[in-house]
Amino acid sequence: MMESEEKIVQILCERFPFLQGRIAARKAKRIFSDALSKDEFMQIVAFIHDELNFRRGHLVVGTDEGDNLGLLYVLSNPEFILLNLRESVPKANPVVTTLSDLYPSLMMHERELVSLFGVIVEGLPKGISYPLPDGWPEGNYPMRKEWNPDYFNRNTLAYDPPQEKEEQK
Amino acid sequence: MINAIIGIGYNHRGLEKACESRNYIQDLYIIERVCGICSHIHSTAFCMSIETLTGVTVSKRAEYIRVVVAELERLHSHLLWLGIAFHEIGFDTMFMYTWRNREKVLNLLATIGGNRVNYGVNTFGGVRRDFDETINAEILSTVDLLEEEIKSYLHLALTESTLAVRLVGVGKLSHEDAIKFGAVGPVARAAGIAEDMRVIEPFGAYKDFPLHVATDQGADVYGKTVVRILEMQESLRMIRLCIKNLPDGPLTVRVPRRVPAGEVLTRVEAPRGENIHYVRSNGTDMPDRVRVRAPSQANWHGMQHMLQGGNLADVPITIAAIDPCYSCTDRAIIIHSENETKLTDWRKLRQYSIDWYKKQGVDCSTLKL
Repeated sequence: MMESEEKIVQILCERFPFLQGRIAARKAKRIFSDALSKDEFMQIVAFIHDELNFRRGHLVVGTDEGDNLGLLYVLSNPEFILLNLRESVPKANPVVTTLSDLYPSLMMHERELVSLFGVIVEGLPKGISYPLPDGWPEGNYPMRKEWNPDYFNRNTLAYDPPQEKEEQK
Repeated sequence: MINAIIGIGYNHRGLEKACESRNYIQDLYIIERVCGICSHIHSTAFCMSIETLTGVTVSKRAEYIRVVVAELERLHSHLLWLGIAFHEIGFDTMFMYTWRNREKVLNLLATIGGNRVNYGVNTFGGVRRDFDETINAEILSTVDLLEEEIKSYLHLALTESTLAVRLVGVGKLSHEDAIKFGAVGPVARAAGIAEDMRVIEPFGAYKDFPLHVATDQGADVYGKTVVRILEMQESLRMIRLCIKNLPDGPLTVRVPRRVPAGEVLTRVEAPRGENIHYVRSNGTDMPDRVRVRAPSQANWHGMQHMLQGGNLADVPITIAAIDPCYSCTDRAIIIHSENETKLTDWRKLRQYSIDWYKKQGVDCSTLKL
């Protein structure tokens, strides 16, 4: 039932030894990797696209991991197997490289990472801000765990947490 | 159309963030409101995610009821789309006919769930509504009636020359581009991609009664029209099979309020295509992360290519052909010419089109709005 999935995992582990024990087929049509560094991630992306034929980009899920930000890239091949590759970058310097050249369908999702998580996506073509409205305050990334909607004024778009007030005093 | 840039998102509602500060049951009501048209399939995906994380197996009866409501939802969505498509090409008589039929489906959904939208059928571990003999009979009689009507739509689509002239070759997205831009649902299937989550990752009745996936090779608006009509026929077949073979069993099974830590990615087939829900739990009664990738979001990426090189008059039907959900998008049109780039509002765009057609020898300026 999972021959194809297991084979893909095996090919990846043979080609990229650092993936050994860090990638697995959890069930039919689902392969998940553990968190990979930016360098590790970029090493395997072109191979996955060109050699393993994972040509469709479905979405990118941003996650707040405390000191790090997680990015789960969901890709698929013609057998409809989902390869879920996880990249992890430090929240203090969340720089990743765009995949929109290989996967144009991920461009909108990368813009989400920029607006909602404050990720810096190098190489992302300029375009319309998405999905937050015009006038959204700089430096406010609402999907980060520390961002609390209780301190956000939806009429003025001002974000005013009590901690910042105390620090000003 | 020289070029178009797609900009969406001014109605961002923050539903995913809202889910993180509420418990799973509260989230179910939020998730059902992601979309007014396909609310049930969103709640189905969310329920399936939680059931996977908690290791709960739903009864077959509940799964069959979920499938019936999902297919009724597909019917009303596709009938709505077909009416809008007819309207966009000036065929308002058929718009009235299709929406009249859609009302019958909405009435049925209201009978089942008490609402025309947001039926509230799903809950974790099963469903909140049961089918009795009266409802079954009502569903089957409506299915019989719709079967005749939808057959006539297919006949119309395949034989009416004005429809073919208006839609063939319009808004094309090739097979390769559909893959490249991540098209899903009828948009992908019209480009020859036989992808349907009901077949690829089936549950309940979809496992027991395999579906025929309708595809087309035209990759244009005509193909998307034919695919959706064929899908409605499949929906009717599936509903009839479910009702006639509805298993006995409980409606719900118990699901713990605290969901064990883990993550799951669930795919289901919404009327507009692949609907993905990602849920990450942390062992509490509130999720750590909920991510919804609705099918409209996937289909917008290819729109630029569908519009490029086409006529301005084909823009409405080309956009309508992906069946976009405007409730979560905004609309702006940027016109590029060799010397300048300008943002154009609706009034300016109308004037631009009048002037353009005047140059072609057609004067539309006397038309009243």
